[in-house]
Amino acid sequence: MNQVPPMVTMTIDGTKVAVPKGTTVYQAAKGAHIEIPIFCYHDRMPPLGACRMCLVKVEKMAKLQTSCTLEAADGMVVSTIAPEVKAGQEAILEFLLINHPLDCPICDKGGECPLQDQTYAFGPGRSRFIEPKRDFAKPVSLGRVLVLDRERCILCWRCVRFGEIIAGDDALKGFERGFHSEINTPFTLPVESKFIGNTIAICPVGALTAKPYRFAARPWDNQAVSSVCTLCGVGCAVDFDVRGGAITRTRARESPAVNDIWLCDLGFFGHGYVHHSERLRRPLVRQDGNLVETTWDNALDLVAHRLRAAPPSRVAMLGGARLTNEDAYVAGRFFRGVLGTNHLDHRIDTRPQSASQSVPWGMAVSIAEIDQADVILLVGCDVTEEYPVLWLRMKRAIAHGAKVIAVTPKALEIHRFVDHHLVHRYGEGAAVVRALTGSHVEDSRAGGLGGVDSAAITAAAARLGGATRALVMIGRAALEAPDGVEAAAAVRDLAARLSVPVNVMRGKGNAFGAALGGLLPDAGPGGRPLADIAGDLQQIWNRAVAPQSGMTAPEIVETGAQGGLDVLYVVAADPATDVLDHTQWKAARARLPFLVVQDAFLTQTAQVADVVLPALVAPEKDGTVSSIEGRIQRLHAAVLGPGEARQDWTIFAALAERCGAEMAYSGWEEIFDEMQALIPGLALDARMNPMGGAIGRPARTPPPPVRAEAPSADFPFVLIPGEALFARGAMSARSAAIADLAGEPWAMMHPDDAARLPVAEGDAIVLQSPHGAAAVRVKVSTAVLAGQVFLPRGYDGAAANALADAAEALTRVRAIALTPTSAGAGSGEVGRRTP
Amino acid sequence: MARLSVRLRQGLAMLKGMGVTFRYLFRPPMTVRYPEDKRSAVQPRFKGRHWLTLYEDGMERCVGCELCVIVCPSQAIFVQAAENTPEQQVSKGERYAADFQINELRCIFCGFCEEACPTGAIVLGREYELASYTREDMIYTKPMLTEPYPGASGRDPRREV
Repeated sequence: MNQVPPMVTMTIDGTKVAVPKGTTVYQAAKGAHIEIPIFCYHDRMPPLGACRMCLVKVEKMAKLQTSCTLEAADGMVVSTIAPEVKAGQEAILEFLLINHPLDCPICDKGGECPLQDQTYAFGPGRSRFIEPKRDFAKPVSLGRVLVLDRERCILCWRCVRFGEIIAGDDALKGFERGFHSEINTPFTLPVESKFIGNTIAICPVGALTAKPYRFAARPWDNQAVSSVCTLCGVGCAVDFDVRGGAITRTRARESPAVNDIWLCDLGFFGHGYVHHSERLRRPLVRQDGNLVETTWDNALDLVAHRLRAAPPSRVAMLGGARLTNEDAYVAGRFFRGVLGTNHLDHRIDTRPQSASQSVPWGMAVSIAEIDQADVILLVGCDVTEEYPVLWLRMKRAIAHGAKVIAVTPKALEIHRFVDHHLVHRYGEGAAVVRALTGSHVEDSRAGGLGGVDSAAITAAAARLGGATRALVMIGRAALEAPDGVEAAAAVRDLAARLSVPVNVMRGKGNAFGAALGGLLPDAGPGGRPLADIAGDLQQIWNRAVAPQSGMTAPEIVETGAQGGLDVLYVVAADPATDVLDHTQWKAARARLPFLVVQDAFLTQTAQVADVVLPALVAPEKDGTVSSIEGRIQRLHAAVLGPGEARQDWTIFAALAERCGAEMAYSGWEEIFDEMQALIPGLALDARMNPMGGAIGRPARTPPPPVRAEAPSADFPFVLIPGEALFARGAMSARSAAIADLAGEPWAMMHPDDAARLPVAEGDAIVLQSPHGAAAVRVKVSTAVLAGQVFLPRGYDGAAANALADAAEALTRVRAIALTPTSAGAGSGEVGRRTP
Repeated sequence: MARLSVRLRQGLAMLKGMGVTFRYLFRPPMTVRYPEDKRSAVQPRFKGRHWLTLYEDGMERCVGCELCVIVCPSQAIFVQAAENTPEQQVSKGERYAADFQINELRCIFCGFCEEACPTGAIVLGREYELASYTREDMIYTKPMLTEPYPGASGRDPRREV
């Protein structure tokens, strides 16, 4: 494979072109800057030859040839401008336009339409077709974000092939034959895909258009601002199209090392929150029990007063995953250098003593290297729900022959492509991973190890043993499980045997940048241990930094609940819905004398705060962010913020001034320069190594052992808290398209369990634990094992953390079916559903 | 001597010119006393203020395609399109102009918008008295631009385009 393929020399339009053997004529011409019109061909997919637009004349061949499917051969003489070619192109375009409605003035593609452009460039100029055109009902809604216009479709099959080849979700298919051919969803509405926005982007006509962008702007109205999507950790390059100070749509920006030319639907349609009417515009302070608007001066004076009055050891800060790198760094400098506390942590969604706190978050290999893997091991990593664009990379590896092994408590959506799917009982994944290493694990329980068939484990272990370029990923579902510490150790051992690093798939948004900026209790900027960096900080900050580690996020909440804190400062986070145990959070809030929240929305945390400071969100910020692979990427401000909202680092700078410290910066560049002095290797587009856990101190107390006792009769189900790409959290609920894609809060249970209750798909149930309840709709699926209920986090209306107890390893719940008509058992719980 | 003949010629020329002046002095004036008096009608191809025209059934011709926006050399037009719903069908087809503004101060009355319009929605009318005391008044909004009844602008509402 590595040898250089032989070259062939051919002539295109009189120009001699030398290309490697196997290149198509179309690619050869493109390399020589000779334009051949195309519709069906897309350079990320193999040639098809459906549209016949790319006709060329080849000497010694009787008929015109489609250049996208024709392999270049030595001595071939090709013409793209011969009169026959011109006549052929005109004929093809005339045929394509016969059934095309030519409703360009009302079509969203008008102005950026390949069919329009190529008709101008290569078309005949007039049609001889006077008969009535094909008539379809239009437009057809195919779900929340997709609109189909079958009249405009030229049947190039790009969208169908995207679903087959790139995304593997077969979201769209061709139906009927000939004149009646049309694109539609294969089973039912709505279209089921996490990547459907890409089909809109590659549609060469206006057949597939985006509902949120419908008639919002013309291409010439939009000003493209290159930025980075911060809605998950992948860090896809995007262009925000801005019209009149508002983002009209998000487009993928080509970035071969990260997202290639693709995005997920969260990236495409998740910008709605930026211009939501509920954005905070002015600072709020609590007066007589109510939050009332005030001036920045009043709010900052009040916060600075309370911060100054509190002893540093009784001040803590939580959050930071939605900040830029610079914001996080300035936040860290403010709390460490000005206030003198080390109680800062961005990892608010970890359980006490969880494995997440002792491993470095982030990928050890680059995203581009996923393509080259031959065996991919996913341990508790729901890749399509958490880091969807990485799945497109994995799909590419699978196309090259890679095999996938998944060890998860819930079957993945991509199960069709998973060769060895080991779906285990929640909390028993570590034993399965141990078994994969070949070490014998005693298991007396029925149904094999963790509920997994032992033959399947043996087969997966054999597959893993034959790997030469394995990719090992451990995700949140494994790290946060009761046996997370063992699972992390097992995965580390397994990876060591395979001589590959472990990729810790953990952290939302810019969590990597929060760690980089120093929002960790035991590490300063760049993840450097406090003792190691103290000298540098003294030099640059002019302040001595206490060397002893601060409290981790769960410890901060716990200490708060015990009355050990005076001020809690929450930045760009929503602990009320994200910390593991909502009851404990409520206790902490009740005993906290002063809670400051700095965020863009009045989140559940902000609603109970004493001061709320309005902050900007990522598309409004200049600076840099880090992705899960540690890549430092530039963020350009696309729009202005609402009202008086400020960028986070300016708020900390203003507070520092009120606390009697000089911490002024002219802009993000100056902060970045200062960070470069502290963090070796920091540069734009550089990749940083994962940090945080490697230097993390060992857990103070051993994690509680997994309680494998039989399920009690009262609470028969084990709760699996998990991830969903589309959810209804503080931000996603305020992006209309995402909130609609997410739908109502749901939980997934096994058909046997559902039959016993009895409930059917879509029925409302209440999940009750000894600590709380959540009302959800049931999804019935064999993706989970019997006796387990999967509940996605991220729905503020049915928060998983309301059920959990920080002191218990496993959350056990019972399900109560709600009968909509009769006042049956549990109907009193309906009122719990958040309106 | 030569000087005398020159003087004579100059004097005659002056008398001739004064003759023209006196002749026109007793004819009716060519100018009109605007704004008290006004010319009866402008030429048929005169390009005055814009109208957004209607079909005979009252439907708006404009589909919000923004071709006038992109063709306008002085960037005087703003259009924001929206989608027709079965409950509120404003124009024929799926799309209509939810907002349509023309800054008449910027407009140079070239008529390109009229030429570009695929539905014949925008026309330049006969009205030329567009002055105002404020700039804001010169930004014509959609209610101001839409003709009050089909055909009010002079465009035949039965014409297809």
